[in-house]
Amino acid sequence: MASRIRMVGLLVAVIIASPSQAEDRPSGFVVIVNSQNPIVSLERKFLADVFFKKVTQWPEDGSIQPVDLRPDSPARRRFSQEVLRRSVNGVKSYWQQLIFSGRDVPPPELVSDAEVIRYVVKYPGSIGYVSGDSLAAGSAANGIKMVSIK
Amino acid sequence: MRKYLWLVGLLSSGVVLAEESSPIEAHAFVSQGFIKTTANNFLTSSEKGSFSFTEAGINFTKKLSEELRMGAQLFVRNLGPTGNFNAKLDWFYLDYHPSDRFGLRFGRVKLPFGLYNESSDIDSSRAAILLPQAVYPPLNRDYLLAQNGFEVYGYTGHGSAGSLEYRLYGGTIFMGISNTPGSTVVVSELDVPYVVGGRLLWDTPIDGLRVGGTIQALQLDTTIVVSSTTTSASVDIPVALWVGSLEYVKDDLLVAAEYGRWYARVINSTNTALIPQSNVTNERAYVMTSYRVNPWLQPALQYSVFFPNVDRREGRESYQHDLAATFRFDLNQFWLVKAEAHWMRGTASLTTGLNGGTPLSGLTESWGAFLLKTTAYF
Repeated sequence: MASRIRMVGLLVAVIIASPSQAEDRPSGFVVIVNSQNPIVSLERKFLADVFFKKVTQWPEDGSIQPVDLRPDSPARRRFSQEVLRRSVNGVKSYWQQLIFSGRDVPPPELVSDAEVIRYVVKYPGSIGYVSGDSLAAGSAANGIKMVSIK
Repeated sequence: MRKYLWLVGLLSSGVVLAEESSPIEAHAFVSQGFIKTTANNFLTSSEKGSFSFTEAGINFTKKLSEELRMGAQLFVRNLGPTGNFNAKLDWFYLDYHPSDRFGLRFGRVKLPFGLYNESSDIDSSRAAILLPQAVYPPLNRDYLLAQNGFEVYGYTGHGSAGSLEYRLYGGTIFMGISNTPGSTVVVSELDVPYVVGGRLLWDTPIDGLRVGGTIQALQLDTTIVVSSTTTSASVDIPVALWVGSLEYVKDDLLVAAEYGRWYARVINSTNTALIPQSNVTNERAYVMTSYRVNPWLQPALQYSVFFPNVDRREGRESYQHDLAATFRFDLNQFWLVKAEAHWMRGTASLTTGLNGGTPLSGLTESWGAFLLKTTAYF
């Protein structure tokens, strides 16, 4: 009986530690803005309001252009959970309400970190996020800067 | 339908012309449902099962400048006696939005009544097929959907005290007359000289908790005719509505509850024998919850209660209790299927016209409704 329990325990430990589970876990994210933007840090609530398009103006003036990653991106999942405090599907439902009642449309969804970086470099008022690995690996381009979340 | 094709053509051609500046956003949905009741006809001829439950819409929005935007949605619906696949412009607007604290919209604008009135047609935005019918009655869509006029709106942050979203509007409602076949009394004229109202939502410091209130006032000027005779009566019906709202959204959980009362007075009757002067107050409330278990499954539960006249709560026609359970299945990010069961007690949400002229007091008191619906959207 005891050996059977040990076997089950071992099996559970193997499943929990399996690579597929680890890969499924979302990685971190880094919020980025155009390097001309004087902002160095943002409140989480302000950032959420920006991505829900409740706030559309920077405090120092100028319109904000948020940009998202695609829904299946690990950084998007982590950003939704930690900043927007909703799942990606919950955010999608929020936008369905606004789209079909004519209130607003969601931020553009880009397919890769590189595209988000290009977008933020191109539009001075924009704000996006990329995976932490992406910037850590040195793929960040000139023209962007990281913003901390308070 | 043909009269709206110019709009689609114009906007579609604009996609190419405007691509370099700000693209035209296009979104659409198509829904088909099925309703079966164990007794009584509900929304359509449901007792024998009905597919008369179709909705489709396509909208276009275009940002004209940093402060100016326009949009329009074409909508077609068939739900029992309502809609009949007649396409109409659901909403259209010109939106001037110079700051987050102040925006101004002109056109046909959806009414911000309660938490979900604006999205009541939007199957993809929620778990339930039918929103709680006490506060969002499906057959009252034309009265509550949109108004032609203006709206002032804004959003203000107040630091640790949370933030406020306000909406104020005024205009009129253009309603088509849709009499239920078989009705003994038909509406021959219907005007809404005014509708005014507002909604205030407070995003509280508790993350995900919203609290709000809505008020609305309108007047219905109508003439009705008894179909078997030439007897008619014209009346004015000022109506005042309010609803208090509470919503909590956190991760995959949603809990919402609303309570409201509608006050209607019948005045200036030209035939008091047919329509006497009167005052009626009705009461409406619900609680609803949903939880997304995983990316493809979202169950939901709701209970709603409706009393058409708070001074008379006895008799099956004087109340409607509705307990409903839903399963939403997302087959992919553009297609979903829902199944929903309702346990009903009372007949206040039914109509005599759909039930062969049988008075509501003569219909089955305890009954069930089963709904299936599939929606594709982008």
